[in-house]
Amino acid sequence: MHNAPSPASSPVIRAVGRALPPHYATQEQLIRAFRELWAKKHFNLERLEDLHRAVNVSGRFLSLPIDEYRPLVSFQQRNDAWIRVAVELGEQVVRQALEKAGLTARDVDHIFFVTVTGLAVPSIDARLANRLGFREDLRRTPIFGLGCVAGAAGVARAVDYLRAYPRHTALVLAVELCSLTLQREDLSIPNIIASGLFGDGAACVVLQGAEAGTQGPRVVDSRAVFYPDTERVMGWDIVDTGFKIVLSAKVPQLVREQVRGNVDGFLGAHGLTRGELRHWVAHTGGPKVLQAFEESLELGKETLARSWASLGEVGNLSSASVLFVLGETLESQEPRPGDWGLMMAMGPGFCAELVLLRW
Amino acid sequence: MAELEGEVVAEIRRILGEELEWKGAVEPSHDLLKDLQLDSLGLTVLAVGLENRFRVKLSEEDAAGVTTVADLARLVSTRVSATPEVPR
Repeated sequence: MHNAPSPASSPVIRAVGRALPPHYATQEQLIRAFRELWAKKHFNLERLEDLHRAVNVSGRFLSLPIDEYRPLVSFQQRNDAWIRVAVELGEQVVRQALEKAGLTARDVDHIFFVTVTGLAVPSIDARLANRLGFREDLRRTPIFGLGCVAGAAGVARAVDYLRAYPRHTALVLAVELCSLTLQREDLSIPNIIASGLFGDGAACVVLQGAEAGTQGPRVVDSRAVFYPDTERVMGWDIVDTGFKIVLSAKVPQLVREQVRGNVDGFLGAHGLTRGELRHWVAHTGGPKVLQAFEESLELGKETLARSWASLGEVGNLSSASVLFVLGETLESQEPRPGDWGLMMAMGPGFCAELVLLRW
Repeated sequence: MAELEGEVVAEIRRILGEELEWKGAVEPSHDLLKDLQLDSLGLTVLAVGLENRFRVKLSEEDAAGVTTVADLARLVSTRVSATPEVPR
């Protein structure tokens, strides 16, 4: 039995814009830049280089030229750079997404802005309203703190809204400039791993309610999952110099132990099984997280190919990552009418968000 | 040698407490994985901490015979003794 909400009454994903900042650095260039810093504290630099190579990332697109990071020593300096680049990249990706959907800024009723890599008041969505010419009655919901799950969770919250306002148009904008959070003086292993894994990027999803009269893949339902007493698995410690990473190896372990039951329960509520899904849109958490998804969900070798490719090309873009994979899935020729898909991401809490898609 | 092994055990205790938020006791007989619940990241943090403190390099091959805190202390102190000069 397929429970309500039915696909026909579900909001539609119209387009996904994706943008990367222009300053590309290969993983080896980044390792060379980090070596001197690591040598201040660490004896076996080869081990640290191996950690950077083990994350399967070939390079990152940085917000600034690599040489411009060193003078940014205070939180204020890094956050000022973050605001400047977040506005530029955010504008670029919103324009791109609206153009793909054949819409303008004046068609937008609500913008959900998600990030975990910088702070701004007024928030980035307000600054974009001035640049892009949104209507004066634009509703804005800036969301800080969901971390990597915010791409999937942002789409889920926008869909909740569009069920209440089925003629409306909503944007989910994710801007994550992870390179500008780097704590150069934090020479801990979690920070060294994070500096090898995370990259910069922005994505924007355009969604419309079921009565907006448009076609496209529909978001049939979503499910949030919270894992009790896992606060130290992932997050930030907020320190004088900004955001200090909290990262534990329990992330892949949690995926292995929990995700299968979460996914099966969610799909079961719609009368579906894993075998009936044709498209898996998985957050590119890291190689161990993707392997844990594959093993626990018994996915075939090529099922998460887009996630693996994205991780390799641009690194983990936090909340924007899963939206990059969503955009690539949408724009591929693979999905056929009637196909089911699942978007899934995890983040600090620790928590997960599952989003059921139907083409 | 025994004195050095004691120093290594003390350093293992420090790393677990200060860097890995381990609240329990750390005894030489403790199994690193089963008793101290170290995962891949925890083992890396521990290895890097010991390498930095004792100026030695530990490899994956080294890890083969290591199960307990005492095994690890013995490995590190053997490495230190095999290094001609140990700049501290």
